[in-house]
Amino acid sequence: MSLGLDLSYLERSARGEFDLGWLRDTDTEWGVRAVPSKTGLTMRDIFIGSYGEVPEHAPLRTMAPRGSDVAPDVPDMGYTINDKSEVWSDNVLDLYEEAVSRQWSATRDIPWGDLAPLDPDVEHAMCQLATVLSEVEMVAADFPAKWLWRINHDFVEAKMFLCTQVMDEARHTEVFRKRALANGGGLGKATAVVERFLQLILDADSYDEGSALMHLLGEGIVLSLFRAGAALAPSPVEQQIFRLCMQDEARHVAYGTMHLRYRLERDPSMAEDFHAYLDKGEEIMAMIFTTPEIVEPTAILAAGSVEAARDLGAAAGDVLRLQIVGDYLKRCDHAGLDRRGRLHLPDAIVQGVPGAMAGAAA
Amino acid sequence: MPAISAPFPSGPWFEELVARATADTGAIERLGIAEFRFGMEIVLPDGTRPLFGLVLDGYDITAVGPMDEGTFAPELVFSGQLDAWTEMIRWIEAHGPADSAHSLNGLSIAGIPFEARSSDAMGSDKFYRFMGTLQAVFDAAGSESPVPVGTV
Repeated sequence: MSLGLDLSYLERSARGEFDLGWLRDTDTEWGVRAVPSKTGLTMRDIFIGSYGEVPEHAPLRTMAPRGSDVAPDVPDMGYTINDKSEVWSDNVLDLYEEAVSRQWSATRDIPWGDLAPLDPDVEHAMCQLATVLSEVEMVAADFPAKWLWRINHDFVEAKMFLCTQVMDEARHTEVFRKRALANGGGLGKATAVVERFLQLILDADSYDEGSALMHLLGEGIVLSLFRAGAALAPSPVEQQIFRLCMQDEARHVAYGTMHLRYRLERDPSMAEDFHAYLDKGEEIMAMIFTTPEIVEPTAILAAGSVEAARDLGAAAGDVLRLQIVGDYLKRCDHAGLDRRGRLHLPDAIVQGVPGAMAGAAA
Repeated sequence: MPAISAPFPSGPWFEELVARATADTGAIERLGIAEFRFGMEIVLPDGTRPLFGLVLDGYDITAVGPMDEGTFAPELVFSGQLDAWTEMIRWIEAHGPADSAHSLNGLSIAGIPFEARSSDAMGSDKFYRFMGTLQAVFDAAGSESPVPVGTV
């Protein structure tokens, strides 16, 4: 491959014979003056003029910044996601800014020094939950990372948001690993059912499929676990961990919901594809509700001990189940995908969720 | 930190709460930007339901109300009986930042004593996205400024 090295340019430029083609012959929108909003110069502030025009189908497959004057001989980067609707969401610019603004540090922002010895049952439960969460969170970094280099650079704002998600998930993996090792416990069990769900996401044939399984379904479940963790936290340490993770996770879910909505608004015929993806995902979701390594630690955190959990744990499990399924159905509704008639969840899982019983799997 | 002198619920009470929470602008900025219209409904013994609001707009936080829900157009309404509101606030006044059992999240996760209702999924997801900021505001009932991310 020839890179077109022109050594004579060195001589010409040494003589002061500049090319200046970039100065005189560049065909871009000039004279742009983006105005900062009150929080600073945001991505939305610079989403103006031709620079705010995102093509429905990317005309080139290059890393050239959208709106630049692209030389005709730029190489083809081989992107496979070249349609805006494959990755876009109407909230992606704002979510990126929010993500950058609300970053935190698992080293600095958790009051680790306030950890106190817990009842051994509770410490075991917290460590098991931390093990599961440390395990599942990294897939939400692996999945965007797997697809990022395939996404056309014209959709750079969506790529930037996915980059924030990668960082968020690294931090979640970090903070739960730290929690497991910080208070006299350690890591617990990793289970096959959890790994199968992660595999389903990672091996998805398309970004559409993986995003539906991960952003909408998987992260929706984890968001509810974070919410429950914050509510059941035995100390301010865990409360802060779960609260900060919850904020991050909800951004990812908000992207997934609005991305699916964007996708379906532009191509309603894809609804059946997404139903099929979620049919598969819900079968794994049902298995999670019967996985002791997830259900029982949550019940013990709610009740305070193994013995108390035998009496109270079912109620705690019901709260979590109703929230997971209820929030999931609301997100599907908002995205424009009515799952109520074809949930692949057993009656025992959807019982009590408004409108969810009809058509649920027996 | 003395309790807010204005009666609860009232516009002046929420305004004083927000003034306390936002006194340290650096702390609010470390919590990060937020965009959210958060409704707070207090169900009084006589059955009336005055609605107050918090508007999170970038780093700005504003208290509004009481006002009509249709006018305020909240993305989520956090609703509970007066006793539940009072108990939550008294606990924070006495102990400082809410523990998990007295937090907005902990008190609404089961739908009792508070219900967090929204017309669509975006409203509830914003409640989760900005939980730290919202809790920092309420924690200001018992401390001079929020305990933000980035100061431990």
